[in-house]
Amino acid sequence: MLRRKVLRDMKENKGAYAACMVVIIIGLTIFTSFSVVIDNLTLAQKNFYRDQNFANGFAEVRLMPYREVEKLKQIPGIKDIQGRMVEDVRVLTPDGESDVYLRLVSVDPLKENPINGVHLTEGVPLKNGAMEIWVDSKFFAANNLKLNHEIEIIAEGRKRSLRVVGAGQSPEFIYAMRDSSDIYPDPEKFGIAYIPLQSMQAIFSHQNTVNSIIFTLQPGAAYSSVEQELEPKLKKFGLENLYPRKDQTSDLLLTGELKGIQAMSTSIPVLFLSVAGAILYIMLRRMVEQQRGQIGILKALGYTNKEILLHYMTYPLACGLVGGIVGGLGGTALSFPLASLYGLFFNMPGLQGSFSPWYFLECILLSLVFSAFAGYQGCKRSLSLHPAEAMRPPAPPSTNKTLLEKAVLFWNILTVQGRMAVRNIFRNPGRTFFVFFGVAFAFSLGGMTWTFKDISEQMLYDQYEKIEKYSAKVFLSAPKDARQASSELGRFPGVKRAEPMAEIPLTLKNQWREKNVVLLGIPKDSILYNIMDKDYKSVPPPEDGILISERLADLLGARPGTTLSLESPLMQDPEQEKTVRVSGVIPQHLGLNAYMELEAAQALIDNGRFATIVMLKMDEENIPALQEAYNSSGAVSGIVNRTEMLNKTREMMGSLISSVFIFALFAILIGFAVIYNSSIITLSERSRELASMMVLGMTPAEVLSVITFEQWFIGGFAMVAGIPLTKLLLVAMAESINSDLYTMPTTMSLMAVCTAFIITVTSIWIAQRLAGKKIRNLSLVEVLKSRE
Amino acid sequence: MASPHTPIITCRNISKIYLMGEVEVTALRDVSLDIFEGELVVILGPSGSGKSTLLNIVGGMDTPTKGELFYRDKPLHLADQNELTYYRRNAVGFVFQFYNLMPNLTAYENISLSVQIAESPLSVEETLEKVGLSQRADHFPSQLSGGEQQRIALARAVAKNPDLLLCDEPTGALDLQTGIQVLKLLRDFCESYGKTVLIITHNSEIAKMADRIFYLRDGRLSRIETNENPVPPERVTW
Repeated sequence: MLRRKVLRDMKENKGAYAACMVVIIIGLTIFTSFSVVIDNLTLAQKNFYRDQNFANGFAEVRLMPYREVEKLKQIPGIKDIQGRMVEDVRVLTPDGESDVYLRLVSVDPLKENPINGVHLTEGVPLKNGAMEIWVDSKFFAANNLKLNHEIEIIAEGRKRSLRVVGAGQSPEFIYAMRDSSDIYPDPEKFGIAYIPLQSMQAIFSHQNTVNSIIFTLQPGAAYSSVEQELEPKLKKFGLENLYPRKDQTSDLLLTGELKGIQAMSTSIPVLFLSVAGAILYIMLRRMVEQQRGQIGILKALGYTNKEILLHYMTYPLACGLVGGIVGGLGGTALSFPLASLYGLFFNMPGLQGSFSPWYFLECILLSLVFSAFAGYQGCKRSLSLHPAEAMRPPAPPSTNKTLLEKAVLFWNILTVQGRMAVRNIFRNPGRTFFVFFGVAFAFSLGGMTWTFKDISEQMLYDQYEKIEKYSAKVFLSAPKDARQASSELGRFPGVKRAEPMAEIPLTLKNQWREKNVVLLGIPKDSILYNIMDKDYKSVPPPEDGILISERLADLLGARPGTTLSLESPLMQDPEQEKTVRVSGVIPQHLGLNAYMELEAAQALIDNGRFATIVMLKMDEENIPALQEAYNSSGAVSGIVNRTEMLNKTREMMGSLISSVFIFALFAILIGFAVIYNSSIITLSERSRELASMMVLGMTPAEVLSVITFEQWFIGGFAMVAGIPLTKLLLVAMAESINSDLYTMPTTMSLMAVCTAFIITVTSIWIAQRLAGKKIRNLSLVEVLKSRE
Repeated sequence: MASPHTPIITCRNISKIYLMGEVEVTALRDVSLDIFEGELVVILGPSGSGKSTLLNIVGGMDTPTKGELFYRDKPLHLADQNELTYYRRNAVGFVFQFYNLMPNLTAYENISLSVQIAESPLSVEETLEKVGLSQRADHFPSQLSGGEQQRIALARAVAKNPDLLLCDEPTGALDLQTGIQVLKLLRDFCESYGKTVLIITHNSEIAKMADRIFYLRDGRLSRIETNENPVPPERVTW
């Protein structure tokens, strides 16, 4: 019998229960889909690293004889070590596109279980000495390549033809980016090609030398102790960079992404379940109050407290069960497209959605626990009533004056409906808090949505519109005399200004803290590279001291005035340790850099007046000619066109906007669920009052205004509280995703506040319209006939 | 029936049929009557006779299934919900057995609630004084006795200055003394303001104070009685 009562009660309030279930479902869909994907990514990463023998350490040197590498095997802790050649080359495409590059990575076709082995997805083994390559599968697909296709490249100024005999994936290039100025992989323009070492050496006329070293560690060996042994041995070969796996770009990004979605997969579902829990609590509490007489009768009939509690717990548990099952199934379904989406960015095998019985079960359990807890809190009062007491009407509500009534001026401007609303707000603190919390949460979701869009734009546009103001950036393949390089490029037709710049790899140390970064040496009168402080004011590159990014300052525990010690492989004597004073700290969203005036940087390194980059201000139409002229020369390793970079960025922003809409939809749903439920509860609780008002001759709109006034009143304060709440969530999110590659700003723009406001107001408005419909359908006769 | 008065409410062959699941329940059958301006009318009948249904239809809270209903010359049986709302707002005042006051508004505010929507309302103070509760203006319903609550409900209905006051068992929840106080007020409203009062009750004693009595039985109007000498409310007893 009681089960039938549950069904009928739920049917009567189907809207409210449905809204609550939708909130649970969204939360759990996010939980399940992301959990499955995290597990999948983690497992795929782990298997891929293990199967392909992914290196534990990486070193870049200028040139090192191949036979020297073998000797390094003696270092305790090293399991295996390999030397190889890594060089970027330009691809000559049939349609004449000038900015397609391949990174040639030499491999030893004869070696068994090589470090960073390539997982061949199609094709045949490489033959030593043959001009054959395997290309990474993303590049292969993006450029519609076929096996035995010939690719023409320019290496050291000479055209070479390479035959594609296979496509594959490597753990080193799961997330393949050309350099630090790239933001995401662009497999059409940049890919990896694996080539036999002998063939590579033939192309680059570096017989028996290597410029990159990779090594694996013995089980239990510490990277740091191997590094200490290895570093001095490599320095004499021009060590440029020595870093562990965790600092390798692809691993860093993959790990960072995993960390980010891990944080999201736990925090967002908890927030959604909390909102659903609050809705259930309020609904149950109200139901127990409303069915007080029925509880009394059940008790009088001899039902035990346990039976009655179980009856009332059926409502939240039913919600939780349905929410859990649908959320679990929805999440499983969503994990497939989500995994494919990650597959677009991460190039590794084994990425796919899956049905995980464990998460499905966990999802249902989580949902049941939240619902049961909220439900129990809501209905435990039913237990404490004695049957006779329960059958009597409840004591009238408190008639104490509310706080606001003492503010006579404010009180007098309120209409009678307004006064009713204000008294209700104060007499139902639990419900007021629920609406407050729900609206603030919806506002924050809306605010975060827009802020994400803002932040991404800010991160990218600040970099390519405000900071880097050149038309083209020419990367030199080796450090060259700054003046000579810039004056040569400055003479190219259409070039209006040429500025040299030096990228210098550095190890900065502050006591026990140290960090490998790139120091940018920028000319003091530069107008093509504009360093900015947090107020967007230009900061000249310091001639005395060094400017560092905020995140770098945090990592090093440095402040303006701190003296840092530094080492660089580019120094005349790489062993020599110098010191430099921090002259200032500036915000930097993309990358992790330090800045100095070019000549000061050159003086610090004491290795001549070199530059590694020339920035050019020039006519757009001359850039293709520039690329044509210099890309084939061995002196230039690449040319970046800023407009093209910006366009690519904009294209990517377009796809980001769609994900922003999903969050906005979540915000609307939450706001809607909270307001709709609060309206439904108010309606059921005060139907008599509202019907009386209609009998007095008030229109449904006038009656609705009593409820809406209450909601707008609380909602107004909640939206204001939503601003710091958004900020708090942003800071928490930034802490979880910040890395050496990007630092997320946490400022919320006026536009974000406005958007959040519009989203929240819209969801409240929609919910109120639906509640208004219920008022119009209120049966005056029925409501007023009954005794209070 | 010849009358010197103008009808304020005209019912012609009013029927009301409710669908209770698959069963049709006829609450009113072919009821025809006129209610004239300025008279105090009592509809008398046992419970289930259809009196509340009739009151609800006359008050614009419900619509007839068949028949015609006019407020003056306005056909209420053709009115939509919006028109009925404005009819209730401007022409009708309701008093219920269980008061139906807003629990979180004071006595004064409960009356203001109806004053603020009416076209030509009386003053809140005046009506409060009329029902003798000026000193209780700042009290909430829960701080008032049943009789006081009903007097506030009455003041709330009267304050709109409606042409027609409809009372559904107004003394049903009150003791004799308090009930008489309320009846006196109803008679007074009828006489001093020249308004029409319609009371439904199952209490035949109350009918003695009416100008005319409509007897309802099984949804039919069984008899109309004109009371040449209505008893003053003070002399009503039960």
